[in-house]
Amino acid sequence: MNSVKTDNRIKPIIVTPPKFIEMPNFKEVWEARDLLFFLVERDLKTRFQQTLIGVFWIALQPIIQVLIFYLILGILVKVPTGDIPYPLFFLSGFVAWQLFSQIVNSSAFSMTSNIGVITKSYFPRLVLPLSSTIGSLIDFFVSFILLIILMGLNSYPITTRFFFIPILLLLTMIFSSGVGLLFGALMVSFRDVKNLLGFILMIWMYLTPIMYPISLVPPKYQILLSINPLTSLVESFRWVFLKTGSLPPMSHFLVSFIMMMVIWLLGAVYFRNMENKIADVM
Amino acid sequence: MAQLALKVENVWKKYRIKRPFDGQSESLKEVLNSPINWVINKIYPDPNHRDNHNQDFWALKDISFEVHHGESLGIIGRNGAGKSTLLKILSRITRPSRGQIILYERVNSLLEIGTGFNTELSGRDNIFLNGSFLGMKRLEIKQKFDEIVDFSGVEEFIDTPVKYYSSGMFVRLAFSVAVHLTPETLLLDEVLSVGDAEFQQKSFLKMQELLSSGSTIVFVSHNQNAVKEICKRAIWLDHGQIKIDGKSEDVVNKYGKQIEA
Repeated sequence: MNSVKTDNRIKPIIVTPPKFIEMPNFKEVWEARDLLFFLVERDLKTRFQQTLIGVFWIALQPIIQVLIFYLILGILVKVPTGDIPYPLFFLSGFVAWQLFSQIVNSSAFSMTSNIGVITKSYFPRLVLPLSSTIGSLIDFFVSFILLIILMGLNSYPITTRFFFIPILLLLTMIFSSGVGLLFGALMVSFRDVKNLLGFILMIWMYLTPIMYPISLVPPKYQILLSINPLTSLVESFRWVFLKTGSLPPMSHFLVSFIMMMVIWLLGAVYFRNMENKIADVM
Repeated sequence: MAQLALKVENVWKKYRIKRPFDGQSESLKEVLNSPINWVINKIYPDPNHRDNHNQDFWALKDISFEVHHGESLGIIGRNGAGKSTLLKILSRITRPSRGQIILYERVNSLLEIGTGFNTELSGRDNIFLNGSFLGMKRLEIKQKFDEIVDFSGVEEFIDTPVKYYSSGMFVRLAFSVAVHLTPETLLLDEVLSVGDAEFQQKSFLKMQELLSSGSTIVFVSHNQNAVKEICKRAIWLDHGQIKIDGKSEDVVNKYGKQIEA
C-alpha cells in the first residue's frame, strides 16, 4: 500500500525540565493556526446551533443591561449625559466593556474548560485563550449592530470616524487578552482566583465610565480613572459613535498600542510558565 | 542499525501529593501565611524541605532507553509503575523533572481516542477538530478524509451531530481518525480494547500495517498478549524503574510469572 509520505523527519526536539522563566514559543503557535481556526469554528457552531435562537440569546445580554441601567440611572437617578439619550450613551461604552469582560472571562477559563484535551494531547496551550479571544468578537458584533440600530433611531449618522473602529478593536482585544492570560495563569496556581474573577470584573466595571460620564467624577479622582486603560478605550469608542470630544493625537494611539503589547507579552510569558505545570496540577 | 526515533536520557518525574482538603493546586492561604518564605521557596526549592501538606512522589526514577526507527516497543507493568507518566512525557503533555528526552521523528500520541470530540458537532467537523488536536494540518486531514470515513463505516451519518451516534459508531469514527495520522512514531495507550470483536480485529490489522510501512510504535498495555503480538521488544516498568528491557516474549513471560506468583 502506498501511503502519502509527509516530511516526518524533523529537527530533533529536546524536551528538558521546565526552566525558571521561559519565553512563549510563537512559532509553534503559528504552526498550530489550523487548530486555532477549528476551535473558533467549534465555538461559533455550538453557539449558533439553534441559528436564530442563538443570536437572540447573544443579543439579550446587552438589551437587558441597557434596559436596567436606562431605568435606574437614566430615568430614576437622571444621570446627566448632555444631549445624548442615556441608552445610547450607555450602549456606546458598554460594547467596549462587554468585549473586554468576555475576553477576560473566556480566556481565563479556557484552560479549565478544555482540561480534557490538555491532559490527553500536546499542542501550544496558548491556542486555547487565543481562540476564546477571537470567538468573543461575535458578541461584540451583535451588540455593535444593536448600537447602530439605536443610533439610527436617534438619528446619529455613521461618520468617517468609523474607520477608527478596527484600531480600537485591536487595542481592546490585545489588552483584554493580556489580562485574560494573567488571570488564566493565576488560576492554575491559585484556585481562589476562580471565585475572585467575577468580583474583580464587577468592581472594574464600576471603575470604568460606562454608566456615567467621566465629567461626573470630581477632578481630583479623574486621574485615578485614567490609570485604567479601559477608560480611554471606552472614551475613544464614544468619540467614534457619539462625536463627543476631539480626536486624540495619533501619538496616543502609538503609546497605548505599545502599552497594550507590553501587558499582553507579560500575560503570555506568565501563561507560558504556568502551562508547564497545568497537566500535573489540574 | 536504523536511525534513532527517540531517546530517553535519565528521566525522573516528580509529582506532589497534596492532602485532599487542600485541593489540587496551591491555595492563596499558603501564600498569605508566609509570603516571603513562599517566594524564596519558589526560587530556590529546597529538596530536603518537607512541609506537612505535601509529599513528593517519584513516578519515574532514572529511566533511560532508545527506540530506533521502525521498532515496536511495548511497555508493561502494574498500575502505578509509571507507564502512563512515561507516555505523557514522550507525548510532551508533561515535562520531565530531571533528565531529557530527544525526539527525532514526528510523534503523535494516542492516549485516548476522540480527544476534543464535541458531541454537538457533526462527524465531519469532529474529524477536522480531532485531527488538528492530534497535530495534523488541515490539508492532511482533507487528503485523508475519505479514507477516514470509509474505515469508520459511518458515511451515512457523517453530517449528523455526534450526540446521535451509538457508542460503537463514536468509537469507530474516533479510532479511524487516530490510525490515519501516519506519524513516524505512534504512542499508544490501551486503545486496542475498544469496539466489538470485528472492529478490534480491524484495528489490529491496521496497526500491523503501520508497522510494516515503517512506523515506530510505543505501546503501553495491560494486555500481555497484545504486547507479545504487536511488539518485538518490551520494557517492564516497576516502581518507576526499568526492571527488564528485552525481547517482548521473554519480558512478557517473566512479567506473567511474577504476576501469578
